[in-house]
Amino acid sequence: MLTKLLKHELKATSRYLVPLFLILFLFSILNRIVLSFDIFHGMFSFIPGFTMLGYVLSLVALVVVTYVILIIRFYKNLTSEEGYLMFTLPAKASQLINSKLLTSILWTVLSFFAILLSLFTLFLIEGDFNMISDAFQRGWQVITMEFGDKNVLFIIEVIILVILSIIDSILIIYVSIAIGQLFNGRKLLASFGAYIGIKIALQVMYTIIIAIITMSSPHFDDVTFLPTFLFPFVIIMQSVLNGIYYWVTNYLFANKLNLE
Amino acid sequence: MNAILECNSLTKKFSNVVALSNVDLTLERGRIVGLLGPNGSGKTTLIKILNGLLVPNSGTLLIDGKKPGPDTKKIVSYLPDKSYLPDWMRVSDTIEFYKDFYEDFDAYKAMDMLKRLQLDPNRKLKALSKGTKEKVQLILVMSRQADLYCLDEPIGGVDPAARDYILNTIITNYNENATVLLSTHLIADIEKVLDDVIFIKDGQIVLQSSVDDIRMKEGKSVDSLFREVFKC
Repeated sequence: MLTKLLKHELKATSRYLVPLFLILFLFSILNRIVLSFDIFHGMFSFIPGFTMLGYVLSLVALVVVTYVILIIRFYKNLTSEEGYLMFTLPAKASQLINSKLLTSILWTVLSFFAILLSLFTLFLIEGDFNMISDAFQRGWQVITMEFGDKNVLFIIEVIILVILSIIDSILIIYVSIAIGQLFNGRKLLASFGAYIGIKIALQVMYTIIIAIITMSSPHFDDVTFLPTFLFPFVIIMQSVLNGIYYWVTNYLFANKLNLE
Repeated sequence: MNAILECNSLTKKFSNVVALSNVDLTLERGRIVGLLGPNGSGKTTLIKILNGLLVPNSGTLLIDGKKPGPDTKKIVSYLPDKSYLPDWMRVSDTIEFYKDFYEDFDAYKAMDMLKRLQLDPNRKLKALSKGTKEKVQLILVMSRQADLYCLDEPIGGVDPAARDYILNTIITNYNENATVLLSTHLIADIEKVLDDVIFIKDGQIVLQSSVDDIRMKEGKSVDSLFREVFKC
């Protein structure tokens, strides 16, 4: 069932997102060509600036529109009239959420690599690959110098944190929408309200936690404090929060669904 | 064999309003049943619980002996009282969608019905009129070989000619062991196709009877009995 849901989720989202990716690559290639010919003088001197503006706009559009489209898709597909179709499929609410979450993670990761690839297309010249691998090596040396034998741990923790924060940014919106749909006639407004409420609550919680940690920890000036204490702590807290968002979203859709 | 639908003291409240109050109801297989009642009587609430869109506060509702969930959704074909299909889809996309998710969906039958309506499957739903969209929805729902068809106001928004088409589609496409539960307040139009009727009022079942019994015992049509029971 999840495979089928994923298939249709990808179909529904790619009709907007694939053109967006294509536009970005088109502008990357166009700019590469324009930049490599130094022939735009006089009345044509506006052309390089013009194509670069297009490139930057398509870059911004990719990031913003991807995010917005994934949110609209979730909201419209599950809480509007389309919810009648989705929630009467022979699937559990959790499978509907999973399919949307996995699709959103996939598009987020893809848009990251698309941007990377477009930057390479635009700026990469021969020999750059050596420079990039040099930079990675130097970075690794710095990390080893700072964290000693905790260097691998540090990298793994950073990767986990990045993944968790992608999931967090998606789930926090899902839970806001799941709460917002409880309010007849003003679901969208209530979703925004829920989102702001959750963000404020988190802010208060973080402030308190940071105050406690800085006051109670004797090793705060030691940099290995990051991989041995702070990162694991944040990973656990982030996981717990994500678990709560997921559980609440699933509970509300399974038990308190409020389609108009 | 289990009854296709069984409700025991089914109750649903919305904050302080009681939408369904202690409903006991059993539907047998192979019947066309009209769920009749005025607006706000609890028809849609019952149908939503049946389709797993609402959870009751107390009591049970069983479909083929099972609580609403993924297993019952496989055997219930539901027509909501809404334009519930994503409007960016083409008609052919919706057929693909149903084929993917419902094992009992017969795509050939659906295509055939579309053809007879001379409806181009490549058209987008966005471009269809409300009445045509409703016909597409009905074709999808009736192209399943379900045990229970649950049709919420299937003739609500369409003209009399389209009504005939819809009723014909319903009675010619359900299989003999299946039950059709049809909610409406337009009784005169559907009376001729019904085997049984359920009158629902203020969240309670006030009458469940076969149409023949009503004609024999009361000596009147369902429509006139309805007008009597629900007199304002």
